[in-house]
Amino acid sequence: MATLTRQDLNFGQVVADILCEFLEVAIHLILYVRDVYPSGIFQKRKKYNVPVQMSCHPDLNQYIQDTLHCVKPLIEKNEAEKVVVVIMDKEHRPVERFVFEISQPPLLSISSETLLSHVEQLLRAIILKISVCDAVLDNNPPGCTFTVLVHTREAATRNMEKVQVIKDFPWIVADEQEVHMEEAKLIPLKTMTSDILKMQLYVEEKTQKT
Amino acid sequence: MSRDGWRKKASEDDGWGGRGGYMAAKISKLEEQFQKDAPREKQKDGTSSCIFSGVAIYVNGYTDPSADELRRLMMLHGGQFHLYYTRSKTTHIIATNLPNSKIQELKGEKVVRPEWITDSIKAGCQLSYVQYQLYAKQKSLNFTSICARGKQDLSSTNDPFKPNPSHPHIIEEDAERPRVNGIHDGDDDDACALLPRGSQDTSLTNGYVHPVNGALKPQDSFAEHSPHVVDIGSHQSHLPQTESRDREEPSCSSAGSKSNFHQRSLISTASPAKQPGLHSMQKDLHPKPTSNPGTSAAPQKGNLHDQTRVRLNGSYHMTPNSSNLADSSHQPGRSGKGAEAGVISEFFSHSRLHHISTWRNEFSEYVNALQSRRRAAGGAVFSGKEKLKKLKANCSSGILSLWFMFVRQSCILHVDMDCFFVSVGIRHRPDLIGKPVAVTSNRGPGRVAQRPGSNPQLEFQYYQRKQKQYRKDGDLEMTPSPQCEEVPSNGVDLDLAALSMAEIASCSYEARQAGVRNGMFFGRAKQLCPDLQSVPYDFQAYKEVALSMYETLASYTHNIEALSCDEALVDATNLLVELGVTPDDLARAIREDIKEKTGCSASVGMGSNILLARMATRKAKPNGQYFLRSEEVDDFIRDQPVSSLPGVGRSMSSKLTSLRVSTCGDLQQLSISRLQREFGPRTGQMLFRFCRGLYDRPVRSEKERKSVSAEMNYNIRFTQVEEAETFLTNLSMEVQKRLEGAGLRGRRITLKVMVRKPGAPVEPAKYGGHGICDNFARSVSLAQPTDSGQLIAAEAIKLFHAMKLDVKDMRGVGLQVQQLEGSHADPSGQGPSRGRSIKDLLLAKQPAHSPKKDPLAPQGWSSVIRTGFFKSSPGLSCRVLDLTLVKHTYCKGGLHHPHTLNHVRTCLNVSIEVPSPSQVDQSVLEALPVDIRKQVEQSWRHREEQPSTSSHLSTPPRTSSSPPPGPSLGTLVLQLPNQLGQPCTTGFILELPDFSQVDPDVFAALPRELQEELCSAYRNKGNTQAHVQAQSSAGDPHKKLFPGNSPAKSSPSKTLPLPLKQPGLKTENVQCPSSSSTDVPETLSKFNPRPVPTLAGAYEFSDIRTLLREWVTTISEPMEEDILQVVKFCTELVEDKDLEKLYLVIKYMKRLMQQSSESVWSMAFDFILDNVQVVVQQTYGSTLKIT
Repeated sequence: MATLTRQDLNFGQVVADILCEFLEVAIHLILYVRDVYPSGIFQKRKKYNVPVQMSCHPDLNQYIQDTLHCVKPLIEKNEAEKVVVVIMDKEHRPVERFVFEISQPPLLSISSETLLSHVEQLLRAIILKISVCDAVLDNNPPGCTFTVLVHTREAATRNMEKVQVIKDFPWIVADEQEVHMEEAKLIPLKTMTSDILKMQLYVEEKTQKT
Repeated sequence: MSRDGWRKKASEDDGWGGRGGYMAAKISKLEEQFQKDAPREKQKDGTSSCIFSGVAIYVNGYTDPSADELRRLMMLHGGQFHLYYTRSKTTHIIATNLPNSKIQELKGEKVVRPEWITDSIKAGCQLSYVQYQLYAKQKSLNFTSICARGKQDLSSTNDPFKPNPSHPHIIEEDAERPRVNGIHDGDDDDACALLPRGSQDTSLTNGYVHPVNGALKPQDSFAEHSPHVVDIGSHQSHLPQTESRDREEPSCSSAGSKSNFHQRSLISTASPAKQPGLHSMQKDLHPKPTSNPGTSAAPQKGNLHDQTRVRLNGSYHMTPNSSNLADSSHQPGRSGKGAEAGVISEFFSHSRLHHISTWRNEFSEYVNALQSRRRAAGGAVFSGKEKLKKLKANCSSGILSLWFMFVRQSCILHVDMDCFFVSVGIRHRPDLIGKPVAVTSNRGPGRVAQRPGSNPQLEFQYYQRKQKQYRKDGDLEMTPSPQCEEVPSNGVDLDLAALSMAEIASCSYEARQAGVRNGMFFGRAKQLCPDLQSVPYDFQAYKEVALSMYETLASYTHNIEALSCDEALVDATNLLVELGVTPDDLARAIREDIKEKTGCSASVGMGSNILLARMATRKAKPNGQYFLRSEEVDDFIRDQPVSSLPGVGRSMSSKLTSLRVSTCGDLQQLSISRLQREFGPRTGQMLFRFCRGLYDRPVRSEKERKSVSAEMNYNIRFTQVEEAETFLTNLSMEVQKRLEGAGLRGRRITLKVMVRKPGAPVEPAKYGGHGICDNFARSVSLAQPTDSGQLIAAEAIKLFHAMKLDVKDMRGVGLQVQQLEGSHADPSGQGPSRGRSIKDLLLAKQPAHSPKKDPLAPQGWSSVIRTGFFKSSPGLSCRVLDLTLVKHTYCKGGLHHPHTLNHVRTCLNVSIEVPSPSQVDQSVLEALPVDIRKQVEQSWRHREEQPSTSSHLSTPPRTSSSPPPGPSLGTLVLQLPNQLGQPCTTGFILELPDFSQVDPDVFAALPRELQEELCSAYRNKGNTQAHVQAQSSAGDPHKKLFPGNSPAKSSPSKTLPLPLKQPGLKTENVQCPSSSSTDVPETLSKFNPRPVPTLAGAYEFSDIRTLLREWVTTISEPMEEDILQVVKFCTELVEDKDLEKLYLVIKYMKRLMQQSSESVWSMAFDFILDNVQVVVQQTYGSTLKIT
């Protein structure tokens, strides 16, 4: 890390790398914490120096990876506004939405104080918040599924078609019902602010989950 | 790339191979048969010869004469006939017609029409097969390495030869080429026969590449260069005895394995294509512009002496400091220096470089515009072309049909005006025609007094040393050549130091004869040529002439590439085919046209590629034309000095001199590996190709720009850091202008600084010049591409400070923006409403107001914005209101939940305070719609009725029925700090919402002027912020919002003194229709470095908590203002996307307030929460969960 210089870095890529890595951890953890999958498929791992849960199911892991693979180009170009993990009940009605709202500062400039460890600290805080978020959330009904949504900025969707990785794993326009939840309550979980990234995580929870 | 690898593959894949043991046996048996039959046949016929010895043919398909007959002929004349094609043995393929796929397969082979054999027999000797090739542009090794780039997808099996310096096979291949050249005599000295006698060998044409490694030299010389050359002799005839000839190199026993190569044919592009079908295919294979060495090599590294021009891509390019302008050079006492305001724009408005560069863009765009117009119109009228067509109709067609053979190959015209600046300068001065004339800024005798502090001698010596250094770089010992001793300066001699150093931009041919050169210092030139007349610059005329030149060219074709104001490339290939005229005819017509229209002469060079066309232009000049025929290329280029190649400037040519290379012919002797070792892989390859007349760049009218920059290293003398900063800012504005002009935005900013070399004289020899300098450069990458001068300036200043330079020693400053991408301008988008980030948006209009005007920048602002709102209010939508009201209105109007549009409007009107009559510009008032004017007047009357000394007089102009609940919070509040009666000089305080709170849609919907005003106001706000913060840290009482009951409706940081009435008020703003451009700066609220929301200065959560606790515990009944302040803070938190903090604050307040004994607090909390929830709901679509 010490040898990274201003010139060598493509900031967008670095940010995207950091963020996607984090999102992967976070998604696994959310799935675990929110009981979307049986806890048996999860394994305890260590990331950001804190224990996290990671699924061992290869298909699930692949799906998450593919998804994030496609999110990455968007983040690189600062075109992703929100990444949302939607948890839906049996009837495919969203009951919870974990919203990672991302904004990158217009001028990415990494000063000497911008240490990765600092960013990791902030990310760790979010991870910890996720792992305790069940305290503020109601239990989910059984048989939930999940999906990942990305809110892009204006023209991003048009450009997305051109990116090969996205072509291989194409996105579809989200259903309105996945995007909007009625009578939702918003529970902010954590906000982080660093030189390279500003992100907040909040949960939108359906009032009546049953 | 491994040669063996692909070769093997080729033989497997191409369908011609795949011979097993059976086939091998069969072939050898057939060969035996053939050998046996041959004597018999000879006896029978009696007319035998050996003209085809070493030639082995394979007949493919139907031929006339038939294959049998050809077999017989080969027997008779010492050749071989293969019934089966063997790549290694067959030297020629005879065919009259080949399918496309076979052509692809046989790309490397000599495919010849049968006439070659019959004609050769007729002539009694083996003719060069080149004229008989079935199709042109057959593979010649190096040629295909260029042109086959585009073909590779078509033919993967026959991968073209790619120069690979490390691989010995290349050299072998090169070496054997002369042998394949259709000349075969079995003698040992045959290589000598191939010595570059060019003209005797018709195959030495363009496209054909000279062997690299001395293969054209006498044999004894190659041994030292390359041992692989030796088996030259063996390659043609695979007879054992020829191999034995290879005695110079015993190690060449690998001949067998190399035999694969033997049939690589030598081709020339010159050979006219006989098959239109084939030809068209080849034309399609336009070489891909893989590299453009001509331009890429332009920056001459380490060449400090850039006072003189650098030959760049054939066009003269001067660094700005070379344009020693009349106005500055004639004011020796002036020490304006770069720091002075306006110097930059003045500099650039005079700089020749600047003109050239901007014009070139302009003409490029002109050509683009023409092309797009034609596309739109579906066809254009080419007047020149029509004329030529008519002309041609009158002509006999005899020559034309002949020409048809040639038009198959591409033809590029390089049109270059003859000493452009001079000929334009004297076109209305016939008295100067025929006299030595120079265009320069100096019109005096060419002598100036030496200035103190300068030391020309020292500089001179420095450059001389520098020059020598190049030579030492070469591993060869220094060879004294005349050029070596020549000083690479502008002709500065030690004793000439006092001469004028104004440079000559252009001089006439008469002056050139006297030894005057472009770029020479005028003083020196005057010495060389005392009669030299100087002509001033006349940029307007240059532009006119240049434009008419381009118009002329465009009347023929739109396939034009603008090189500079006086130079253009025209791809006439299609034009010639269409018209059926020769290039010479076309060139003549063009030149006549140009002469007629501009009064200036132009020279035209023609060649099969850009490089050759340009070289031909040299020969054509002055006022001539020259068509470099393909077959003449080799002879022509061999004698060209290396310096005539594009990309070869002084530093490179001196380096080449050290390698004993002065002409392209010399250069051809160097192997590519050597060149690449000396000059780097790219440049080496470029040189390798250039000296063979190879250049693969097509004419392209649209050229991608790599960077946009502005540089000034003339007259830079700073004394203070501030001056340098101002200069950087101004320079950034120039860059912005250029970026905008090019419609580009860049991501990477590079600051280049020239700093006086330690020990160098303080004053350089050239007035205002930079002298001997060290160059420093630093760059920074931005997250987003920008074209905002302000942003660039900020970065540049940061970089500048990081460099920690002594400003006094700065001699040159340059700003460059790289990593460009087009600014995705919406078609409808213009001005600031393009899709930029708000910061750009807000900063972009800065140049309109120069920094010194800044304090006054928002002149007339308040009234303009006010009138703007008045205007829009009648029919406005809620969104428009959002601009000013933003979310704060919700807080304010939170009592009346839910928020109807009506209510919001009320808030707006309430929040606008009508200034006193004295402060309203009458013209603005008059321009207002009648009803609004009435309201304003009414409000004045109303005010008089209730004279108030309150400093916050609020006079709702429309709805007196709903008085404001209190002084509004963040919105447009015009406060009256002064007592009413006094003539208000300080004006009103206008509170602007934060950037982030400006609704982008609304912003975009505003009239452009209004947007600009807002931008400037925000900019100003940013400026004052630092000042204000300093104030607040000093303990501004107003900041102490909580426990004190101060009416903290506006934190000072948000206020902005805005003199209301200004003479320069723009009345037209009022009339400006609120053009709702739809392109919204999408990321408007996302990206602005906005201040962190603070609650009465508190920003950390712990501080906020303390503050809140104090507030709730010490006060029994909360002030409404304070509550609103908290709401505002919470709203800002939402805006700031810091929900977490908001959540904590809310929860903390809930605990505090609901525990409080006073029920008022509980109500207060409910009020706050309601308001916050509305904002959250609006932003996120759901409300906070408060448990």
